[in-house]
Amino acid sequence: MSEMLRVEGVSKTFDGFSAVREADLTVAHGSIVAVIGPNGAGKTTLLNLITGFLRPDHGRIVFEGEEISRLAPHEICRRRIGRTFQLANIFPRLSVFANVQVSVLAHQRRSWDLLSAAAGLGVHETTTVLESTGLAARARYMAGVLSHGDQRILEIAIALAREPRLLVLDEPTAGMSPEDTAATTALIRRLARERGLAIILCEHDMDVVFAVAESVMVLHQGRTLVQGSPDVVRQHRDVQAAYLGTTDA
Amino acid sequence: MVEFTALASQVLVGLSRAMILFIVSAGLSFVLGVLRVPNVFHGSLYMIGAFSAFSIAAWLGAHPAGLWLALLGAPLVAVAVGLVVERALLSHLYQREHLMLILFTFGVMLVLNDLVKLVWGPDYRSLVAPASLQGAASVLGISVPRYNLFLLFVGPLVAAGMWVLTAKTRIGRIARAAAVDRDMVGILGINVNRVFAAAFAIGCYLAGLGGALVAPTTSITLGMDHTIIIEAFLIVTVGGLGNIWGALVGSILFGVTQSVGLLVWPQFAIVFPYLATVIVLLLRPTGLLRSVW
Amino acid sequence: MVAARPGRALGLGVGLAVLVAVPAVAPEFYVYILSLILVTGLLATSLNLVLGYGGIYQFHHAVFYGIGAYTLALAITKMGWPAWVGFAAGPVVAAAAGGLIGAICVRLTRLYFGMLQLSLGSLLWTIVLRWRSVTGGDDGIHGILVPAALRHVEGAYYVILAVVGVSLVVLFIIVRSPFGATLQAVRDNPQRCQAVGIDVRAHQLVAIVIAAFFAGAAGALYVVLERSVFPNMLFWVLSLEIFVMCLLGGWFTFLGPLVGAGIIVALRTVASRYTENWTMILGTILILLIFFMPEGVMGHLEQWVRRRAREDAHV
Repeated sequence: MSEMLRVEGVSKTFDGFSAVREADLTVAHGSIVAVIGPNGAGKTTLLNLITGFLRPDHGRIVFEGEEISRLAPHEICRRRIGRTFQLANIFPRLSVFANVQVSVLAHQRRSWDLLSAAAGLGVHETTTVLESTGLAARARYMAGVLSHGDQRILEIAIALAREPRLLVLDEPTAGMSPEDTAATTALIRRLARERGLAIILCEHDMDVVFAVAESVMVLHQGRTLVQGSPDVVRQHRDVQAAYLGTTDA
Repeated sequence: MVEFTALASQVLVGLSRAMILFIVSAGLSFVLGVLRVPNVFHGSLYMIGAFSAFSIAAWLGAHPAGLWLALLGAPLVAVAVGLVVERALLSHLYQREHLMLILFTFGVMLVLNDLVKLVWGPDYRSLVAPASLQGAASVLGISVPRYNLFLLFVGPLVAAGMWVLTAKTRIGRIARAAAVDRDMVGILGINVNRVFAAAFAIGCYLAGLGGALVAPTTSITLGMDHTIIIEAFLIVTVGGLGNIWGALVGSILFGVTQSVGLLVWPQFAIVFPYLATVIVLLLRPTGLLRSVW
Repeated sequence: MVAARPGRALGLGVGLAVLVAVPAVAPEFYVYILSLILVTGLLATSLNLVLGYGGIYQFHHAVFYGIGAYTLALAITKMGWPAWVGFAAGPVVAAAAGGLIGAICVRLTRLYFGMLQLSLGSLLWTIVLRWRSVTGGDDGIHGILVPAALRHVEGAYYVILAVVGVSLVVLFIIVRSPFGATLQAVRDNPQRCQAVGIDVRAHQLVAIVIAAFFAGAAGALYVVLERSVFPNMLFWVLSLEIFVMCLLGGWFTFLGPLVGAGIIVALRTVASRYTENWTMILGTILILLIFFMPEGVMGHLEQWVRRRAREDAHV
């Protein structure tokens, strides 16, 4: 499989604290890559760097042959990279339907349309996305009243509306019950397969990681320890030392 | 040499005015830093301080210490008014968003403005400085009004007092902690309400003191609250929100640019400090010194 | 919820007919007050585009109102332009100012955006206040010569009604458009919007320019009505008063600001007859509002209607 995203030697420092140090990551087309590591390892920072919310101090990020290290988040999204956040980041006062519709309108380049009536636009696309993520029944609910698990799925739906080719998920199953976790895991697998999506996911839940990931990257104190297939990583000496031996920063 | 004397004289005048601006701004900044309240009626307390100084002096009549007592007593009136509003109304709104606090304190400003009109009438008042502070003294060959020298003495005194309060006393340390993490301070068993009331009282005192001090230098009018509060907010932003030393820097910038402006282009003197503010904020929007926010 | 229902359309039609008929049946003073309500209502609605729908703390919106007014005033008195050119120039200059001030401020977070705007606006106020030779200084400019047809209150009223009517329709269309939906999304969660490909800064800037345009139009209309301008139109107190109108009417609804403006203007007119202390009354209303009805009149009404609809649905 060919390479889609390459993170090379990326570093980011905050006030003297190195959150990410020379991290490397490779994502092949249509593959699912998990980024794991203890708390504070720099996973979310790495995701923020990839999706443009932070700019790397050193290193490069190359997507489909184009360097995207310095692009703003909305420009990164337009290159078909979508993301979800660690805390469910939705529009709480809008309905589930409207949440996805905003994304659809943006995708159709209609966010500058001052004259049409928004209500009737993008209905078909919005409904399709809601059905594929299983939220269609709750379309009219206000997003703020959804259960935590459903809000995380709504986030995925909002990102899907922009037809991404790479989806970056920050701890998608955090705080979910076992049933929801299993459902979300199945959803992720299905989406990757049906749409040929590449997925980067940050996860703490090792069951999820080993259930879906084709490649695992271990981040420890901001550095890439190793990236490889789940079995290779599981048996890697440094990984075992990091998880079982030393404490984190 | 004449040019230099005129300039130096104007700079000194500007610095004296800056001291009053500092005292008022420091109070605003302190409340902003500790309580996170942008107090729009801070200017009203300034105005009440000025009018109260007038009234106390008038009531004490020919008493030799009358004017001094007015300067001492007027800020207490401002504290009284401020505390009534804080305990009865403001303290219930601390959890609301800042826009609501701005609008609420604006509402109080409107009410106080008319209250002052009701109590003191619409005419402007004037107050004379205490006899020992009248006239001029010669400093390095420049004639400086004694009252200005007095202000140049009081200003740094207030600055030192605020520094000691915030950095050295227990209540100052609690106030600073409460500014950063209100809930944590509460959990530590400290009566946050009382800390906030005390901090607010200090802010009110400074506002009233500023008004009392400015009273002998200008006519005491009903529009004082409107102009001082916008100047104070701009100074506080220029200096860094919640930063007392920032308030000093901002006040000096404001006061000196205005008085030098009087020398350079008298018609547009008032434009200079606002222009200086804009330039600073364009270059450093969060202010010159570190902001609490 | 919107004009789709025939009842709504009928109500609007009747309302419009009533407004058109007013000068024929009411004394001149009421026509004047209604004109003032319309102008102030447009100003408040223009603020609400960025405030209620955009979540932007536009602390000094009055600046654009003043710029629109002074542009028309200066166009007629100092430049000798025909009135209609000056009238068109007002909103355009205000929009340009909105673009300039907006572009400078929009890169900052909410609070600092407000403070920088406040400083820029106040600077402009001091210039207008002091530039006596051009702006009339703190006296302002009076007795501006508008076209003869507008010199009578009735003529002014019809122009105001037409312009405000069209403006409100345009603003309503904008609010209901995809741009409006995007703006509200930006208000609720700018970070989410960025992740979804929306250029947050650009959308906010356009909203500010549009709001400034209509505030400038309101300013020009004020000149048509009062035939004078003065520096207080650019003073921060007026900016906060407009906020109060939006709050009073309800800033999550479209008609809220207009309702709020109407209530304030009407109350002020009535109160001024009996007392000198309107300011205190306004302050008290504001305080009560914040404690007891922060959703505003229209917000309260909408909640009430929704509750009734739910109760009826259960029957």
